[in-house]
Amino acid sequence: MRTLLAALLVAAATTAQAQYPNRPVQLIVPWGAGGGTDATARIIGALMEKELKQPFNVVNRTGGSGVVGHDAIARAPADGYTLGLITVEITMMHHVGLTPLTYKDYTPIGLMNADPSGISVRADSPYKSVKDLLAAVKANPGKFKASGTGQGGIWHLAIAGLLKDQGIDPGALPWVPSQGAAPGLQDLVSGGVEVVPCSIPEARAMIDAGKVRALAIMDDNPPALYPNLPTLKKELGTNWKIAAWRVIAAPKGLPADVQKTLAIALKKVYDSKDYKEFMAKQGYGTVWAGPEDTAKFMAASDANLGGALKAVGLAK
Amino acid sequence: MLHAYAQAFALVFDPYVLTVILCSALFGLFVGCIPGLTATMATALLVPITFFMPPVPAVAAIVTATAMAIFSGDIPGALLRIPGTPASAAYTDEAYAMTKKGQAEVALGAGLVFSAIGGLFGTAVMMTSAPALAEIALKFSDYEYFWMVVLGLAGAVFIGNASVLKASMSLLLGLLVACIGLDNPAGYPRFDLGITELKGGVSLIPMMVGMFAVSEILRFVVHMDPPLKLATEKIGNVFKGMWGLLVKYPWPLVRGSALGTVIGIQPGSGADMAAWMSYAMAKKFSKEPEKFGTGHVEGIVEAGAANNSALAGAWIPALVFGIPGDSITAIAIGVLYLKGLNPGPTLFINNPQNIYAIFLVFVLANIIMLPLGWLTIKAAKNVLRLPRNILMPAILLFCIVGSFAINNTVFGVLLTLVFGLLAFVLEENGFPVAPAILGVVLGQMMEENFIKSMIKSDGDVTAFVTRPIAGFLAVSTFIILFWPIGAWLWRRYFSRRNMPVAE
Amino acid sequence: MKFNDAVLGAIFLALSIAVLVTIQGFPKIPGQSVGPSAFPGLIAVLLAGCSIALIWRGWRERASQPLVAIGAWLSSPPHVRNFLVVVGGLVFYVLAADTLGFLPCGAIILCALFLTLRVRPLLAVALALIVPVVIHLIFYKLLRVPLPWGVLPVMW
Repeated sequence: MRTLLAALLVAAATTAQAQYPNRPVQLIVPWGAGGGTDATARIIGALMEKELKQPFNVVNRTGGSGVVGHDAIARAPADGYTLGLITVEITMMHHVGLTPLTYKDYTPIGLMNADPSGISVRADSPYKSVKDLLAAVKANPGKFKASGTGQGGIWHLAIAGLLKDQGIDPGALPWVPSQGAAPGLQDLVSGGVEVVPCSIPEARAMIDAGKVRALAIMDDNPPALYPNLPTLKKELGTNWKIAAWRVIAAPKGLPADVQKTLAIALKKVYDSKDYKEFMAKQGYGTVWAGPEDTAKFMAASDANLGGALKAVGLAK
Repeated sequence: MLHAYAQAFALVFDPYVLTVILCSALFGLFVGCIPGLTATMATALLVPITFFMPPVPAVAAIVTATAMAIFSGDIPGALLRIPGTPASAAYTDEAYAMTKKGQAEVALGAGLVFSAIGGLFGTAVMMTSAPALAEIALKFSDYEYFWMVVLGLAGAVFIGNASVLKASMSLLLGLLVACIGLDNPAGYPRFDLGITELKGGVSLIPMMVGMFAVSEILRFVVHMDPPLKLATEKIGNVFKGMWGLLVKYPWPLVRGSALGTVIGIQPGSGADMAAWMSYAMAKKFSKEPEKFGTGHVEGIVEAGAANNSALAGAWIPALVFGIPGDSITAIAIGVLYLKGLNPGPTLFINNPQNIYAIFLVFVLANIIMLPLGWLTIKAAKNVLRLPRNILMPAILLFCIVGSFAINNTVFGVLLTLVFGLLAFVLEENGFPVAPAILGVVLGQMMEENFIKSMIKSDGDVTAFVTRPIAGFLAVSTFIILFWPIGAWLWRRYFSRRNMPVAE
Repeated sequence: MKFNDAVLGAIFLALSIAVLVTIQGFPKIPGQSVGPSAFPGLIAVLLAGCSIALIWRGWRERASQPLVAIGAWLSSPPHVRNFLVVVGGLVFYVLAADTLGFLPCGAIILCALFLTLRVRPLLAVALALIVPVVIHLIFYKLLRVPLPWGVLPVMW
């Protein structure tokens, strides 16, 4: 029995030294199966599998608004066999005191996607532009309500940050927490709330059905789907922008050669037709950044969202 | 609608889905037949597997397995005098007495045939009423949903045979468990005890596996009774004489099916309650009540139909409002959410083909129950001889994997252990565990709808009763809540004066 | 193990008081008139009320109901052992699964449980080796659940 065990251990040790990767890789997703992040992770996993010739198993670790999954990625061994798809929430949660983890606890491999926030109202709403809407909010504090994600979620911060930026008290537009963009939009259509800030792909079905009107996008350029949608800069002259993003990352301390192997493979995945087609079909925005630029990108996001959280009064 | 039904047909009559239905039917028949393994446990064990299936086969597996398990619970009842599932308990003595008289095939045949008819009756009610109810439910906002949840919770406490006080405490315990974690309207981590995993809250599946499967295994290993003994080895043709029974007892059949459906719809009470109540009703209305308990088939006809129709009935509020009718639909709702088929009226509009597919699965399950049930009765002798000391440890390992698979963490296994022990102690002390499950499922909905309503109405509480439907639901809730208390005070007042009061 | 209702009531009362103490530390949420403490607070108050009623009921029946009635199985060593093996098996899995792996843990737990439930030793060992492999194949291969391999190398 002992010799058998020793033999197994030797076998395990020798295989570990061979060329990376030589066994299946786990790709942890902090969000539930069936959602947008999960779908993105699955297509990336499938394409990475082709590049690196090892199975990439997508594992959902859900719960706690992403805390549980992000924690699991950060705490995994930094050997390249556990990766994760980390999301914008990692630059938000530590400001609120939900977790000590920050973006610095990961080794970035590549930025794969970013979806800027839009601002939508009901199709029959009297407000045709962001300017009109914000003026009405300012004139009647507390009269309008907004929804689209949980309390302190990314879209909540998007609108609160914009109000702060425009010199309006974020409390003038109370937030109705919801389980995501879909129930929030449902509530918008049925008249429960007046404003939903969420990404354009999330609102797309409702916009195309003529039930919801998008007023603006919080980005430098209009989205490919609706090239006529004005940017905030054009409408209000502000530089305020915010986006939900997804980054492939490993735990902190990943060996540099493994990081390089993964980054090269991931870039190929990003450039592949399959990935572009999938993201276009979902309506998701594609953006690429290599390891160094991803780190800078996350740092900027962290500072931006930290400010917004302070504005809403949620930051610790 | 016809188009949606055509799509539903294509969804159900697909080789993969049909295979799933067949396998889960056999699984349900097997689990129901083994004493100590309940229909709820069958569901709890199935969920980790359905987790990885597309929505229609996932729901089909649960529907089929539970319908089969409820019927097959009659088999050990008749042959061993141990109900295979609690839903058969009401008429176990009756069926056993019939077996002693040499009429095992009549008892089992009546159980089989009338289970299938009752199930079809409940399905027909569901098919006609659910889409209509969904139309009404479309007009519901957070206020109405708040009252619906409260109504469901009130039902869970007051309809059941356990002490109301203990059922309430079990429910409140479930509501407290639902508070754990970050997923509340405030986004604030509550009661996480500093454990990261608990920030995500207590996942329903490991909790269910613990409360319905592990606790059952614990009960088995400390069981002191002598080994089981079959009352008879010989079972004749179970379909013989069934037509005669159908002609002789049309009213008990209709009554049982109707009562069962209604009890199923009522949140919190399921198949077992339906069987008890309709058995009592059969006796009350029978021309020969003196024969009940001596091996008389009439009660089996009525109660056998009732427990299977209750199963379909429980799906009505589950599909239309997302409010479970019993602990099985509570799990099923969890599965629907995981599959992105959030139950509620919009499901009927956005994905009618999925809803119709569920209806078709119900019909199919109750039809294939006849041949498969017949086979199970044939094989019963051998199934019942399976050594449970081998089966139970294997089920324990299955529980471990199942509770791990949901979030891929051993924390799920730990939850399963904690809730298994908790359920074991609670049940030994007369606390029912089903209300706790309903509390966990409905707690989040209740808080969310309450807080959203408060924000929208700017903190004005009267908004909860001023909308017409909300007002009606509020009044109904208060009637259900205060009826028993009022009745109790009334009785107490009169008994103080030593005046006789009709019960 | 049956407790007098008063004992159970006291335990539930302690739980509700603990909840009420904990929620004092919960913050107010800007923009929400009802904070995160309101809902658990309400439940805890209701639970405390029920607990007091249960204590009262147990106290009235204290003559007929002892504080703790040890069930028949608790005074029978083999049954207590069965119980402890099930609980111990789950605890063992939680602690050892990640390092030892699913297959060894499963085999050890099954073997222990089969033997305490008096399955014939040879059959017990054989089943303890086969059943985990079957379950592993179903969940790992078919459903792609990442059950830990632990000390064993990846075999399939």
